[in-house]
Amino acid sequence: MYKSNNALKATVIALLLSGCATQSPTISSGNVEYGDSKAVETLTNEFGSTDLQSIAESMASSLLQSPALFEKKRPLVTVAEVKNKTSEYIDTKSITDSIRTKIVKSGMVRFAVDTSAMQTQVDELTRQNQTGLYKKSKSKKMGNMEGADFRIEGTITSIVKRAGDVKDVYYKFSLQLVDNESGTMEWADEKEIRKTSNKSMF
Amino acid sequence: MPLFTRPTSLALPILLTITLSGCSVMRSYDNELKQTVDLVGQGQIDQALTQHEANNTGGDFDLLYYLEKGELLRLKSQYKDSAGAWLLADQKVNEWENEAKVRAGAILENVGAVLLNDKTRRYDGHDYEKVMLSTRLALDHLSAGDWNAARTEIKKTHEREAIIAEINAKDTEALEKESKEKGITTTFKDLNGYPVETLNSAEVTTLKNGYQSAFSHYLAGFVYEALNEQGLASPGYRQAIELQPNIKILEDGLATLESRPSLRKPNETDVLFVVESGAAPALSSVTIPVPVIVSNLGVIPISFPVLHSDPSHTLQPSTVGIDGKDTLPLAGVTSLDTMSKRALRDDMPGIIVRGVLRAAAKAMSQKALMDQGGGAAIAGIALNIANVITESADERTWRTLPATISIARMTLPSGKHDIAIGSSKQSIDIQGSHAIVVTRLLGNQVYWSQPAFGPQMPVYTAPSAIEPAKNIDGSAIKKSPAKPKKKKAKKPVQQAQG
Repeated sequence: MYKSNNALKATVIALLLSGCATQSPTISSGNVEYGDSKAVETLTNEFGSTDLQSIAESMASSLLQSPALFEKKRPLVTVAEVKNKTSEYIDTKSITDSIRTKIVKSGMVRFAVDTSAMQTQVDELTRQNQTGLYKKSKSKKMGNMEGADFRIEGTITSIVKRAGDVKDVYYKFSLQLVDNESGTMEWADEKEIRKTSNKSMF
Repeated sequence: MPLFTRPTSLALPILLTITLSGCSVMRSYDNELKQTVDLVGQGQIDQALTQHEANNTGGDFDLLYYLEKGELLRLKSQYKDSAGAWLLADQKVNEWENEAKVRAGAILENVGAVLLNDKTRRYDGHDYEKVMLSTRLALDHLSAGDWNAARTEIKKTHEREAIIAEINAKDTEALEKESKEKGITTTFKDLNGYPVETLNSAEVTTLKNGYQSAFSHYLAGFVYEALNEQGLASPGYRQAIELQPNIKILEDGLATLESRPSLRKPNETDVLFVVESGAAPALSSVTIPVPVIVSNLGVIPISFPVLHSDPSHTLQPSTVGIDGKDTLPLAGVTSLDTMSKRALRDDMPGIIVRGVLRAAAKAMSQKALMDQGGGAAIAGIALNIANVITESADERTWRTLPATISIARMTLPSGKHDIAIGSSKQSIDIQGSHAIVVTRLLGNQVYWSQPAFGPQMPVYTAPSAIEPAKNIDGSAIKKSPAKPKKKKAKKPVQQAQG
């Protein structure tokens, strides 16, 4: 009985140890940590990750409630430009990419390549059709690209004010959905963000 | 501050610091680089490089070594080697950034510099040099045809500017506090005999700061535009205007940003001409007696840096000639001569505070040794001699940078063009939708760069500009997905509105 108890203990310990061994090893100098990518960031009052995420979140959920997107089954949408009218280097494409990803995941709409991806699209079609490397019957034909039903476009503006040690930044992100054929605006929304920083707080 | 509690205990550290840092203290950077710049001005780049290597031996090279080396290699059109040197400089700036973020506000904690002089501090580069490093690295990548690598450097430029702004704000605050505590009220305007006018001219004081340049931001706008990222191009052009208002080419950069892609035909190239002239100003040392209020030490001579403009810095060409028929006006958008003066003006409060504290420490330790008599007095005399020898301001500054940068922009038919700047002419092959032609004028030399093939992406931004797809042999394919619309004929050479 005593022996079998020991054997049981040894088995449990071995199992525990082997359990530990299956975990991925960690190499660390102790100076680098992974953080929560969704954590609220208030390091400075310049445009940051939290602003990007909150704009993308609110715009995507608002757009998905637009009646225009329900009238046609899985309409084709393209992302036009979001004009950056601030003096900050804000990557507006990164914002629209996030919005697009959220909308695509809903499965309600399809997206056509936008102008920034057009070069790659044309290159691919050219490669399949004109290099002589592909079977004619298997290559994707030129001239079959589909035009988008709607386009998403918008602007981001900011008002920056300083008084003494206080810096106040107001961002306004406007987005609209335009019917490409009729030119009518089918949906629009705005997201406002205000950030105030005080030097004496640091 | 413990610095003034036991004066004699400072004598040994001072003498030791002098001994250990002998090379950097005694070295005259001004003399070394004057010769190097003169050689470049005479077209002797190889000799300039050889001399630069001879001046820097020992293997543990500092930031300045790589900054100057990168510039010399760039003038030799060795863009990849130049980028290699500058990327090593960039690593050193990154180290500074990481340390500075932690250290910000502790501006006076570098004991070596307080005891001896600013020359003993590790050379971290002036702020405008750190920003220009990224801009010039971007130019290297553009000259080598790597627009995406240039984009990375451009992005780094504005991230670096943000870090510098943050650190400067904290340092200024700490300095003000320290000056108040020590009762140091001297400003550079009080330095009797200092050429105050060099730091007090209208062009220096009207600059927004000493590290942001209109050229860097315009270049950012141009690169983002070429890569079809208008959302990032517009703040580039906008910031350039904010930094240098009322310059037409900068204003046009933003005003016609949206219309430019549709105006340019597929076989045309939007060309940015960048003309760099002269060399950045030299720093030399001037010694001025300053009343030291700390511990009532009376009037003590302290050394301060003085900027001397390159005599040719005002000689900028006013036009670029195109194919012997068009003359394009050049607009001066950035003066590194002025920026360096502004940077020194902003650095002066720190230099004065460190100078006064250093002078007080030295005077007190020397007095204490002399008072003891005997062997200590001899040490006191030795310390006095050492103080006189070592008391000179930091002359280190990136000298091979240009003094001024002018730009012009024009849309030209892609292909070879005869470009003329002053009496120098060069046949330049311009390809792609966007290209940058950089020319450097120094001494009696003109250094031309041949642009590498530029990006083609923006062709698809404008429906009217879509080129019909072509077969491999260049002939038009029969069924084109998008036929180009017939457009009203334009002049073959058309000046861009921006």
